[in-house]
Amino acid sequence: MHKYQGKWRPIKITTIAVTLLNPTLTFAASCCGGGSSSGLTLPKTATAMIDLSINQEIYNGFWLADGTRAEDPPGSDLKQFRFNTGFAYRLADNWQTSIVMPYTWNRNKYSGTERNTHGLGDTSISLLYEAFDDITCVWKVRKLSDLKPSIYWGASLTLPTGTSPYDDVSDNFDITGRGFYRVDGTLHVEKTIYPFTAAVTFSHGVHIKRPVNKENGNYVEPYNKQLGNRTSITTAASYTHFMESLDTLTATVSYNYLTEEKSTIDGVKDSASGFKKNSITTALAWANSDNQWILKLSWNHSIDRDNWGENFPITDVFTTGVSYVFQ
Amino acid sequence: MFLQQALAMSFNNLLFRYLTISICLFYLTACGEMKNDLLPSDSDLQESVESGTIGHRPSQISADFEVTSSEGNLFTLSSSLENGDTPADAIILYFTMWCPICLGHSDHMFNTVMPQFRDRGDITYVLVDHISGSTALTRASEIASGYSDSGFITLADTDHILFKQFHASNGTTVVISSTGEILLNEDYRTGENLIEVLDELLAQ
Repeated sequence: MHKYQGKWRPIKITTIAVTLLNPTLTFAASCCGGGSSSGLTLPKTATAMIDLSINQEIYNGFWLADGTRAEDPPGSDLKQFRFNTGFAYRLADNWQTSIVMPYTWNRNKYSGTERNTHGLGDTSISLLYEAFDDITCVWKVRKLSDLKPSIYWGASLTLPTGTSPYDDVSDNFDITGRGFYRVDGTLHVEKTIYPFTAAVTFSHGVHIKRPVNKENGNYVEPYNKQLGNRTSITTAASYTHFMESLDTLTATVSYNYLTEEKSTIDGVKDSASGFKKNSITTALAWANSDNQWILKLSWNHSIDRDNWGENFPITDVFTTGVSYVFQ
Repeated sequence: MFLQQALAMSFNNLLFRYLTISICLFYLTACGEMKNDLLPSDSDLQESVESGTIGHRPSQISADFEVTSSEGNLFTLSSSLENGDTPADAIILYFTMWCPICLGHSDHMFNTVMPQFRDRGDITYVLVDHISGSTALTRASEIASGYSDSGFITLADTDHILFKQFHASNGTTVVISSTGEILLNEDYRTGENLIEVLDELLAQ
C-alpha cells in the first residue's frame, strides 16, 4: 500500500486535475474585442470553490487570414491584464454550477498613441453534469471497470457584460468584451491512473444573433449581426508528485485548438472575421495537505510560426491563481 | 476535535461571506455601461442632420483637410474634389491600425472592391494610419503589411486630425463624393455597403 494512500488523495488529484485540465477559453482583446472568462469545475467531493486568478496577456504579432505570421506595428507594446473571479457551487450529487467574471485592463502603446483602459469583461455561467457517481481515479488497473473515466457534460452561457464596440466607447481601445451572448456545450473526459492524468475536452459554442444600432459610440442604421460558431478541442496530460508533507505538486501540459467561423451581417458573411489558433499551455499547481488551497501558475503560448493560426493575435498568457475549496 | 471542526467551519463561512460580498461590490461598480449589449436595441436612434452642412455624418459636407502621406506628400481633400488639381469621383478613407481585422478589410477592398470599380470611375483609395505617430513609421507599417505600391495612398494621421474629424475608430470607412458630400461613415462590416454606395454614385 502506498504510504500516502487514504481518502483525501483521490479527492486532491481530482481537484487539481479539473482545475488545470479545463480548457482555457480566454480570448484576446485589443482590436478584436475579448476578455472572456475561462470555465471552472468543482471537484467531485467539494461543495463550493472560489477561484481568483490574474492573467497577463502579451501580444507578439498576429496571423494574417492566410496563416502568415506578421509583426505588430513598429514601436507598439500591447498587453492585457485580467483579474478573474470564479465561484463554483454544487447543486446536487452530480450537478454543479459556476460563474466566472473577469475584470480587464488594456494597455495599448503604439508609437503615436497610448491608451490605458479598463472594465468588466464578458461573464460566463456554467452548468455541469458529472456522468459518474464515484471518483474514477485508480492506482492500478486490475479490472476493466478501473478504466472508466470521469465524464462531464456541460452547458455554459457567456453574458456580454464587457464593453463592446456597440457600447458607448470612444474608440476600439475601450473594448473589453465582444457584445454577444454565446451558448456552449462541453464534453470533458478525464482519467487518472496515479500519478498520471489524461484529459480531452471538446466545446462548441453558438453566438446569438443581435441587432446593432451603435458602432464605437456613433448611432448607425440598425442591422443584425451574428458572430460565427466557435469550436475548441483541448488535450492534456499531467503528472502529480506527492511530497513528504502530504502536499502535492502537479505539472500539466496541454494543447488547445480554437476556431471561430465567420460572422454574418444581415445574412452576409464578413470576410474579415473568423479565426483559428493553436496554443500550448504548461502549468504547475501546488495543493496543501488538507486539500483546501491550490496555487497555480500557467503559461499559454501561441505557436508563433506561419500556419499555426489565422486572423488572430499571437500572444503569451501568464496566469497566477489561487483556489479555495469548501468541502 | 469538535472544537477544531467548529473553528474550521466558522472560518469557511466567514471567508465565504467576505469574499462573496467583496466580489459583488467590486463588480457592481463596473455595471453601468453593459445595457447596450445585455438588451440590444434595433431602434434607429440616429439624430437627423441638415444636409449640406459641414460635419462627419452621411449627407453632410466634409471639412477640408490636409495630411501628410507615407511618402511625404501633402494630401489635401479639396485637391481631390471636382474643382481640384487631381479630381476623383470618390475618395474612400479607411482607418487602420494594421491589425488582423484591419488588414482583412483592406485586403477585401484590394481584392474585391478595387477590381470591381477599376474601369467605372476614378476612385482614390486612402488608408489612414491613426496609431503610428510619424510618417516614417507609417511607411514602415505600410511596407511590412504589403501595401506599398498597392494603389492605396497611406496617410500618417499623426495628430489625429482625420480620426477626430470623422469621429472614427479602427475600421471606420468614409466615402466622400467629388462635391465633398459624405456618402458613408460606418464600420467596414462586410464591404457590401461600400460597394452599394459606389455603385449608386458611379451609375449617376
